[in-house]
Amino acid sequence: MSLIKRLKSLFGGDNKDVIKNKSVKEAPVNIDIDSKDKRSSTDKITEEKTGSSVTKNSTTPKPKESTKKESSKKEIKKQEVSEADPVKEGSESVEVIDEKPTPKGDSIKKDSEDEIELAVEEKNEVSEEKDEKGDNMTLLEENMVIKPESVNREFTQLFVDAGIDSVEHCFQCGTCSGGCPSGRRTPYKIRQIVRKCLMGLKDEVISDPSLWMCTTCYTCQERCPRSVKIVEIIKLARNEAVKAGFMAPAHRATGSFVIKTGHGVPINDATKILRKKVGLSELPPTTHSDAKALEDIRAICKATGFDKLIGYNMETNELME
Amino acid sequence: MEIAYFLGCIMNNRYPGIEKATRILFDKLDVKLNDMEGASCCPAPGVFGSFDKKTWVSIAARNLVIAEEMDSDLMTECNGCFGSLFEANEELQHDSALKDEVNEVLSEVDKEYNGSINVRHFAEVLYNSIGLDKLGELVEKQLNLDVAVHYGCHFLKPTADIGIDNAERPRILDDLVEATGARSVPYKDKMLCCGAGGGLRARDKDVALSITKEKLDNMVDADVDAIVEVCPFCHMQFDVGQVEVNQKYGTNYQIPVFHLAQLYGLAMGLNKGELTLDAHQINSDPVLAKLVAELDANATE
Repeated sequence: MSLIKRLKSLFGGDNKDVIKNKSVKEAPVNIDIDSKDKRSSTDKITEEKTGSSVTKNSTTPKPKESTKKESSKKEIKKQEVSEADPVKEGSESVEVIDEKPTPKGDSIKKDSEDEIELAVEEKNEVSEEKDEKGDNMTLLEENMVIKPESVNREFTQLFVDAGIDSVEHCFQCGTCSGGCPSGRRTPYKIRQIVRKCLMGLKDEVISDPSLWMCTTCYTCQERCPRSVKIVEIIKLARNEAVKAGFMAPAHRATGSFVIKTGHGVPINDATKILRKKVGLSELPPTTHSDAKALEDIRAICKATGFDKLIGYNMETNELME
Repeated sequence: MEIAYFLGCIMNNRYPGIEKATRILFDKLDVKLNDMEGASCCPAPGVFGSFDKKTWVSIAARNLVIAEEMDSDLMTECNGCFGSLFEANEELQHDSALKDEVNEVLSEVDKEYNGSINVRHFAEVLYNSIGLDKLGELVEKQLNLDVAVHYGCHFLKPTADIGIDNAERPRILDDLVEATGARSVPYKDKMLCCGAGGGLRARDKDVALSITKEKLDNMVDADVDAIVEVCPFCHMQFDVGQVEVNQKYGTNYQIPVFHLAQLYGLAMGLNKGELTLDAHQINSDPVLAKLVAELDANATE
């Protein structure tokens, strides 16, 4: 039955995609209904998505590879914790650790989810291998276990309240990581960060320096099959990081330039000469040549508390140590 | 036609030839560029947006209000400024709670955001309000150049909000470049970011340069004469960043970088001094000499 269904959706996939987008937007709005309802709505989504993911998986091996690699660490965590279904709401499965003794299959038996099932089986193989090899030398360390106390539900709610409720639509396909220019060369794993934001793992997210590897190029967001506003997620997570004091000195400096001059990149002497040479005003008609305008910018920064946020002393006009 | 001309930072404070070329171009096109007195940094979307949303949107709103007071749409020729101002305008127009919050901040400086103007990108204005035919008429020198067109990120994306062109296979810039006689050459991963955005250049230059190098490698493979973009930040990353890539990786890349406004400047017969090409890190003389040689050859034929 599932094969027929897959073929059907393969050929008729386009129509479903259109429908999918609609149901996607509606389904996860009910955040606080009980988990059964949630599950069924998520199931519906995955089922509908199967059609288009079939072709992708069979033609491009790349995302799968990265999925495996990326998830091996996570996978170990999960087996130990609860074998949480990777498609389900993470925070929830984390909190019901003890009630879920049966690991594999439990939540993935729905016959229509063959594609997902395949992927999960593959992952399990990987981690079983590791278990065999490493009975006495497991790679799992105590601090890798996700415990209920590291889950901060308010953190997840921040995204919802900011209009980025699409964070809840993510089903961890990895399309984002597959297209990410920074993900190819740094430890930045956008798929994982989105997951952690949904799970409420605030401390992990905001203290991770790789959070700052995103160039905001939007490739992930453009390609996301679930229309998750990924760049917005990153920016809000960074806002929270900055609030908690995780801000690079170079970024504090950029911030200070705006308070000091109104420009993130202020003019220099060489450019003043160049401007005059080509017949432009030596200073551009911006805050650079308008003291009142610069005062406005400073007043705005004061009103929003930006000076305090970056540790800028308005009196000395310098960043504080 | 009149438009409020938003300068930003890098163009006017580092590459004034772009501004100069734009002013001459729009003069010829009979479009009046009105200066936005006292405008500031946009502020950069991936940088200030990453630090503190409220500060970002408040400073952006102040810039938008300056254009509102001039009662005209705003034009910028920087992808970052465009992304920032467009997004802020969009959010403020659709989120009344945010608008109230921002207006409370703006009341400190006696300003009020209304949401009465549109934010437009230089290239989109040229394409939609001027048109390729009229632009073609301005071309005094057909530019016999093979060009790597670089779109950058915030000109077209997120497409769901901006909707100027398809983000995976756009045409708008290629068409604008080809209106000068230059050829837009296909190259690998053309839509890849320059590497500078999101605060990455400031935070971790090595990572930023590694992305820039990938881009340059692909352009070199396609054997182009020049890079053309529509964002002074990408411009700087390809110009200054190219020198940095050469130092870091031992390459010897020498691909001149032109903002689209400078390319039109060349097509209108402006010299390298007027376009401040002589102040670029990457020497454009060999390419300019090639253009002149071809013109001479054509003249004698």
